[in-house]
Amino acid sequence: MKKLYYNSKKCTACKTCEIVCAIGHSPSKDLYTAVLEENVALPSVRVYVGQEENYPMACRHCQDHPCVQACIAAALKYDPQEGLLFDQEKCVGCWMCVMVCPYGAVRPDFRDSKSVRCDLCVDIKDPRCAKNCPTKAILYVEEKR
Amino acid sequence: MKRVVIIGNSAAGISCAEALRKKDKEIKITILSREDYTGYNRCLISYYLAGDIKEDKLVYKPKKFYSENDIELLLNQKAGRIDSKKNQVVLEDKTRIDYDYLVLACGASPKLPEIKGIHKKGVFGFRTISDAKGMLELLPITQTACVLGGGLIGLKAAYGLKKRKIEVKVIVKSSQILSQILDKESAEMCKRRLVENGIEIVSGSQAQEIIGEGDCRAVKLDSGKVIAASIVVVGKGVKPNIELAEDSGIKFEEGVLVDDYMRTNIPNIYAAGDIAQSYDPILEKTAVNALWPNAIEQGLIVAASISGENKKYPGSVGMNSVEFFGLPVISFGITKTPDGFEEIALKDIRQDIYRKIVLKNNVIKGAVFVKKIENIGILLKLARLKVDVSGIKDKLLRPDFNFSFTKDLQYDKEEVYI
Repeated sequence: MKKLYYNSKKCTACKTCEIVCAIGHSPSKDLYTAVLEENVALPSVRVYVGQEENYPMACRHCQDHPCVQACIAAALKYDPQEGLLFDQEKCVGCWMCVMVCPYGAVRPDFRDSKSVRCDLCVDIKDPRCAKNCPTKAILYVEEKR
Repeated sequence: MKRVVIIGNSAAGISCAEALRKKDKEIKITILSREDYTGYNRCLISYYLAGDIKEDKLVYKPKKFYSENDIELLLNQKAGRIDSKKNQVVLEDKTRIDYDYLVLACGASPKLPEIKGIHKKGVFGFRTISDAKGMLELLPITQTACVLGGGLIGLKAAYGLKKRKIEVKVIVKSSQILSQILDKESAEMCKRRLVENGIEIVSGSQAQEIIGEGDCRAVKLDSGKVIAASIVVVGKGVKPNIELAEDSGIKFEEGVLVDDYMRTNIPNIYAAGDIAQSYDPILEKTAVNALWPNAIEQGLIVAASISGENKKYPGSVGMNSVEFFGLPVISFGITKTPDGFEEIALKDIRQDIYRKIVLKNNVIKGAVFVKKIENIGILLKLARLKVDVSGIKDKLLRPDFNFSFTKDLQYDKEEVYI
């Protein structure tokens, strides 16, 4: 399956990825409406600013997936073609996934007790972060293993 | 045709059965359960008790799962003993079930203190749907509930009952709650949050007797104090259900001893989940780490062993994530700094933020994060792999600590940054 990789040298930490991610996962999918929505959508990708390079991070859709094993609510499944599938309805906000994610790529959203994680923009089958990255620092390519 | 018999229908048993079926379409799989439900999310019963979720959300694997995967599920069947010479499980009704491979995934049971009246109606362990339902039935006639012990399970029950508007008193012998999983500082923070939300913590005493005619009416403490309560929850930890191992030549200490492939000392008998005592890479000895994620992983390892893949188990770690009234806490490994260990900590009591990491020889041995819980999983991985973190020790507590800080340590197979 295809996965997201990041070129930390090209990333300028402009955070376009965070913005398009949040908008894309908001009910309206429109910037000007999304910022006024009750629970403003959170991005599932975060950019960490380093000394010389910058580091975006989102769910790795790992082949070994400790979060799936740790989920006490059966909200997570792994599909070899589609990656991690998250059933938000089932999530109870126990944060076991946060506890075991070796990348710190899953974050808690305390407002509604649901975890925030990358779904590879399953609705348009083309991750918005990679599509919109102005420096092409985010690549969506076949998994290297 | 080979037959696998799995005793226990929860995390370990089910994950083992599911993985086995994926690897082998032929093998016959039988799961025995002494309960009356198909697989359910055991850890969610506190959410169910609290009214946060409905009963349907407890379903982990519906009936359909067993039929689709051709798994025979025998409910309300208690295994009485194992006849390992004949490769048979003997049920309590004397029925014998043959096996080629046997998986002990029979879990653990609440430790009940030996005090007068402990078996009265209204006294619960907190482990099964039946426990939660039993408490819910008593809610209309209950004003006060007593929780015996300040462990995680007891406090989760306390939280659930409090959300149901029941007055809750937690009786703790020691001065610290959650002493198995937290250090003093973080336990104090949790305690404060519980007390602020109306849960009373009675420290320094323990229950001496449960009073009542058949039904529980009150708890008498060793201080002489009597607390009226029609629900009593025993939260004094769990003990592995090793009874089956005891007379069958299977080696056990606290739990059933297993090797790195989850094999017991008897070649075709395996153990997984809360019953198993497996290697703990943080403690560097075997331990019973009775937790859902460990149980799932161990079930997968058993399936790999039975099918001949022989995947080595990296070991179980004590780890917990809990949230009381909006205060999330995650901890793993050793949280109280022993002699000869090093600790680094960051504390902002006003904001309820606390982060502490325990190290030995520059290897992470444990951590507690309160409120700001993000990225703790990175530390867990470093601890499990015993990575030397001397190069980044000064950065571990930084609020912006993230995976990129660890990339030069090169412990991770997966390429993230190119």
